[in-house]
Amino acid sequence: MRMLPTGEYIPGHSFLHRLDARVKLPCFFILMAAVIGAASLWGYVLVVAVIAVLILLSGLPLPAAVASVRRIYGFLLVIFLMNALFFGGEDVLASWGIVQLSRGGMEQGFRVVGNVVLILVLGNLLTMTTLPTQVTAALASLIKPLKFIGVPTEEVAMILSIAIQFIPTLMEETELIKMAQIARGARFESRKLPERAASFIPLVVPVFISAFRRAEELALAMEARGYRNAQNRTRRKKEPLALRDYGALTVCTLICLVQFLLRRC
Amino acid sequence: MTKMSAVQRAVFTAVCIGLCVVLPMAFHAIPNAGVIFSPMHIPVLLCGLICGWPFGLLCGLAGPLLSSLITGMPPMAYLPSMLIELATYGLVSGLMINLVNTKKLYADLYISLVVALLAGRIVAGIAKALIFAAGKYTLAAWVTSYFITLWPGLVIQLILIPTLVVALMKARLIPERYPVQG
Repeated sequence: MRMLPTGEYIPGHSFLHRLDARVKLPCFFILMAAVIGAASLWGYVLVVAVIAVLILLSGLPLPAAVASVRRIYGFLLVIFLMNALFFGGEDVLASWGIVQLSRGGMEQGFRVVGNVVLILVLGNLLTMTTLPTQVTAALASLIKPLKFIGVPTEEVAMILSIAIQFIPTLMEETELIKMAQIARGARFESRKLPERAASFIPLVVPVFISAFRRAEELALAMEARGYRNAQNRTRRKKEPLALRDYGALTVCTLICLVQFLLRRC
Repeated sequence: MTKMSAVQRAVFTAVCIGLCVVLPMAFHAIPNAGVIFSPMHIPVLLCGLICGWPFGLLCGLAGPLLSSLITGMPPMAYLPSMLIELATYGLVSGLMINLVNTKKLYADLYISLVVALLAGRIVAGIAKALIFAAGKYTLAAWVTSYFITLWPGLVIQLILIPTLVVALMKARLIPERYPVQG
């Protein structure tokens, strides 16, 4: 089966699709705080349950919602092992020189990996149910107060939106170049620092050249279509927030509060 | 290419912010590469040098923030000090490349880069000493964390960033700083 593109918008009419992006973004940050604030088993049960409900409300297939997690399982394994083997602590299960496998390290590893996975799924739900143009408009709306201190907020929102859209493409390209350099004999896993450092250059230079080439093409395409300045853009209509938007914001805030109450218990 | 347009600067900045997310993910799969080589610093410094200080500053702020939101790296606990450090890199590298004009490309790049790297480390150290670890942060801890532990990253940045700027100029993706007349 073709790998699902990470975080790409999937059209739909679900509750999450209909939620205003100006509310979805703050909700994302509030729920992220709830994930980071989880300190006990019940705390994690709460955030996992909330994310499960959100997946149901998004109407997205489960494989799509967790696609980004499947793509970086190797990285998650490395994070877990680094925490499990180097965290230290008193409850040591096994030890090999400076490397110590401890219960505390394993718990810390599970916690870090769990947080990354949950935040990735939340981020996926956000980007898969929100058009990039809506994210840009929402960002522009949320950072609007910065206009008073002279920040070109429309332009900043446009840059952030392009950056978010570039990430999956850049990831695929980096992986391809890495594989190509390994096939050519690059030794990323070498134990010698100079060798490892030398292997770094043939990877980074092509990644940057290819990324800037794509950026150049996009800039040319934007200019050819008459794009000049984000501040000159106009909008046809301004939608007011609906009742469901206020409801969603209230529920997310309550979830975050419950999480922090659970921390104190 | 004679001069970059505002749209080009904006899109190049967007790509640099994207690379702030992607490069650490790619290098964390290589043992200790993330810590040793500080891959997020490279796009920020490059953005400042190529697009100027406002874009460098934006890249320094948005890059780590976006990376932290999407990948959890850097962890939220380290994010504020990293934001200050990287924002200073982007800001100072952009300011310096506008100020320095020795008529020699490598000299301009190295002067700007070294000043930016020092300024970022000094500002981050001051922020840690005064705000994030007030009273607990020592000069020895600053030297150890920013110069001794991260020296491979420092060397890599000093080799790689001028190389990247020249490679991008040769690929005609950015304008020549000192174009050959005639």
